[in-house]
Amino acid sequence: MNTWKQVLSDRMPAAWAEEIDVFETQIALKKQGKVDDKLFAETRLRRGIYGQRYDNGQRHDGKAQRTLTFPSAGLLKGTDTRWDAPGMQRIKLPWGGMTPEQMDALADVAEEYSDAICHVTTRQDIQLHFVHIEDTPDLMRRLAAVGITTREACGNSVRNVTACPIAGVCRDQTFDITPYADACFRFLLGHPDVQDFGRKFKIAFSGCRENACGLVTMHDMGFIAAIREIDGAMKRGFEVRVGGGLGAVPYEAKVLEEFVPEEEILPLTQAVSRVYARLGEKRNRARARIKFLVDRLGIEEFRRLVREERKVIPHDDRWTDYIQDVPRFVDEPLKAGKAAASAGADPAYQAWRSTNVYRQRQEGYAAVTVTLPLGDITCWQMRELAEIARRYVGDNVRTTVEQNILLRWMAEADLPALFAELLRIGLAEPGAGTVVDVTACPGTDTCKLGIASSRGLAGELRQRLAARFATMDQSVKDLRIKVSGCFNSCSQHHLADLGFYGVSRKTGGRTVPHFRVVLGGQWQNNAGSYGIAIGVVPSKRVPDLVDELTAKYLAERNKGESFRTFIERSDKKELKAVLDKLAVVPPYELDRSYYSDWRDPREFTLDDIGTGECAGEVVSMIDFDLQAAERQYFEAQLHFNDGDFRKADETAYRAMLQAAKGLVRTQFQDIGDQPDRIVAEFRGRFVETGLFRDKYAGTKFAEYLFHRHEDRQRRFDRDHARHLLEESQLFIEAAHACHAGMLERAAAAKAKPAREPAAPAPA
Amino acid sequence: MNLHRLGVKFFAGDGATIALPEFLPVFHRWIQQSVLDELLLDVADYSHVHAGPGVLLVAHEGNYSVDETGNRRGLAYYAKHPQSGDVAAMLLAICAKTLRACHLLEREPTFAGKVKFSGDQLQIFANDRLNAPNTEATATALRPAIDGLLAKLYPGGKCEVVRVPDAKERFTVNVKAPADVPVGELLKRIRGE
Ligand code: SF4
Repeated sequence: MNTWKQVLSDRMPAAWAEEIDVFETQIALKKQGKVDDKLFAETRLRRGIYGQRYDNGQRHDGKAQRTLTFPSAGLLKGTDTRWDAPGMQRIKLPWGGMTPEQMDALADVAEEYSDAICHVTTRQDIQLHFVHIEDTPDLMRRLAAVGITTREACGNSVRNVTACPIAGVCRDQTFDITPYADACFRFLLGHPDVQDFGRKFKIAFSGCRENACGLVTMHDMGFIAAIREIDGAMKRGFEVRVGGGLGAVPYEAKVLEEFVPEEEILPLTQAVSRVYARLGEKRNRARARIKFLVDRLGIEEFRRLVREERKVIPHDDRWTDYIQDVPRFVDEPLKAGKAAASAGADPAYQAWRSTNVYRQRQEGYAAVTVTLPLGDITCWQMRELAEIARRYVGDNVRTTVEQNILLRWMAEADLPALFAELLRIGLAEPGAGTVVDVTACPGTDTCKLGIASSRGLAGELRQRLAARFATMDQSVKDLRIKVSGCFNSCSQHHLADLGFYGVSRKTGGRTVPHFRVVLGGQWQNNAGSYGIAIGVVPSKRVPDLVDELTAKYLAERNKGESFRTFIERSDKKELKAVLDKLAVVPPYELDRSYYSDWRDPREFTLDDIGTGECAGEVVSMIDFDLQAAERQYFEAQLHFNDGDFRKADETAYRAMLQAAKGLVRTQFQDIGDQPDRIVAEFRGRFVETGLFRDKYAGTKFAEYLFHRHEDRQRRFDRDHARHLLEESQLFIEAAHACHAGMLERAAAAKAKPAREPAAPAPA
Repeated sequence: MNLHRLGVKFFAGDGATIALPEFLPVFHRWIQQSVLDELLLDVADYSHVHAGPGVLLVAHEGNYSVDETGNRRGLAYYAKHPQSGDVAAMLLAICAKTLRACHLLEREPTFAGKVKFSGDQLQIFANDRLNAPNTEATATALRPAIDGLLAKLYPGGKCEVVRVPDAKERFTVNVKAPADVPVGELLKRIRGE
């Protein structure tokens, strides 16, 4: 036998094996030119195979844009995705659960088909990078043989169902939500009612309301465990929320039902899915997440529709079948619980124990966080960790949304031995869940949408903060930092004390990596509230900014005041002044370091652009307008903080108009101040011509302006004002990007005739 | 033997240790200047993980890595796609690529001679648990290809070849050669110059 298909035929679930065979056939047909590019792209996405940076065959090497001439030149795996370009394989781990056997398999496929690294994501998945499409069927078979499917890990489908990693061992839980999360995953996997969504759909379960673990309010649909007395008996159920999401504009999920008994959660989820599939936006990706549908309809109408739908769904035994197994869904500890004899004398052990060990609700046991730098673990470490798990905790291993791995049911008496084992394999770093445990999305390392190097910055912050962690004030240690490569928030930066996302700015005709700073988000209370964007600093000044902000907090906080409360009550102008001090970018000739990103020495430009004089006038005028838009946006935030939501909303709208007007003025000086005229001219000159089109987001940002402009029955409440603030900020970012594109084209146009021989003079 | 996912690692010699991130600009420059004779795609930084792939230069046919697996730094190259020829020919080609990269790093001006590789220690591995599980049978099957490679590198010398026995790890043999030959010389020998 010399294929994995043959070797593993009796170890894979038959249905999964067949799906993989079908996918392999689709690969073969695609190679023969018999499958449309778009269709194949969605097919592979639904198998968790994602595009990766440079897969369009173009890469800027720091000096010039180069074409990557792959061997199978004309063959594509998506509309603009080269066949041979390495891609990313996302692997779903429902509720983050992993067994040692699965860890071994993950390590093996990472080593053989990827780059020997397993990357834990902020949704408890594992991602492998640099994978060739033709290796994926075998990769999937090897995972299927140990009970892992990659089905619907990407694409417009139900993504990984996440849950508190300490569910079942948590001291605060209402009850263990794991069997419910598992049932939800199994019920929805491949379900016909979840195949026709306009966008992805993320579900989370949380065992309590107060703690952060489940992050329910930032999900499309979320469940918070609750118990109610019904007819004299205590009944398990859930508060169900819907319509949350981070992404470019964060929405807090609304309460759909305050209490749904356990037997109703699957049919209710099915009803929600059907309403979303039927009424959710399909053509306009920018407004296709369920949060927009809930917002458009209002939660009351959405609830009514879901309840109506619930009444007509044909009965399915699976809705309740799993409930009889719930009592059996209990973790089995490998070893007897035993308290530690002493706290140990080793300071390294004590430091690790103070941050990485959680005392379980079960006497004598602890849950141990294995801190993974930037979410990465090598295949060797993964195999060693699997062995350690076999010796101490058995199958009780989970990934966390903070990109770590949790070993549950550790007998406390074994902690010193475990620490020694982790030390041996380089996984005994302390600081789990603290300021050094920086979360980062893949950013420009591998993500096609990345603007700045989130991992580079996160690595730098980790290193600097770890060096002085031991002497830090406890309240600074307790902060959380999250870094995203762009506005899409994959690192969940909105929930961090200090959140950052990548943007860029032009200085002297060159592009400089920057990060927008989002402060005071709340991780607790299931992602209780989102941070506010204060301003923008060059990438290379972010570590200094962290120092300045934490020093300011320590110097000016009230007794016992949290960072979030401090930010909330701080004068935003003062905070902005801290940023502004660091915002200056020295000229390229004086300091080139600003012009490349962390851990990526390439010059951060999209083309070799000089400071073209031809763009001079355009630059100064538009710069002025964009600056005014930024200022108005900032004022809108101040109104919001003062609770004046109407003023915040109107000012944010004006900020967008100002940015749009600035762009229009580059072509039409006398545009004037009439909103209708600005919007019409902006639409005609920038949107319909494609000038304002974002490569990936399309016209999404322009629609924010159109949507607000056309909203004649505007509701001036907190939620709408907050969303508009986010939209306004993104619109202004897009205007900056559009302006940068204009400069680049102007410079290219100027450079072109100089390189070409002069045309002969007419005779 | 249906096997192409082969790799070779030459260990770094004693001496000054260059921090892993310092290899990033070098590999980026190799891409800019198309220094190697294959399609170079990107650089991946794993300097933050312990005993891992370090800094990777990702190419289409295979990956180059300033690799720290097993807590020993070296330069590894492993193939990802089939190349022409049989296993022995592929192993020779892979080793030649590894040596070329080692030689370039030794002569890299920014490192000022601080990067040196041991010319008497190397590792040969197979990233393929289906066709080359870590067993004695694989060792036997691969022996002619390995011997052929070592005869080219160390003609007349007797090398010690020891398989790493851990059944869960990929097939790996450690080679100890009788003499520490400079990698530039090894490169010449493998190229038949
Ligand atoms: S936040 Fe942006 S850069 Fe980061 S992974 Fe998401 S889409 Fe990519």
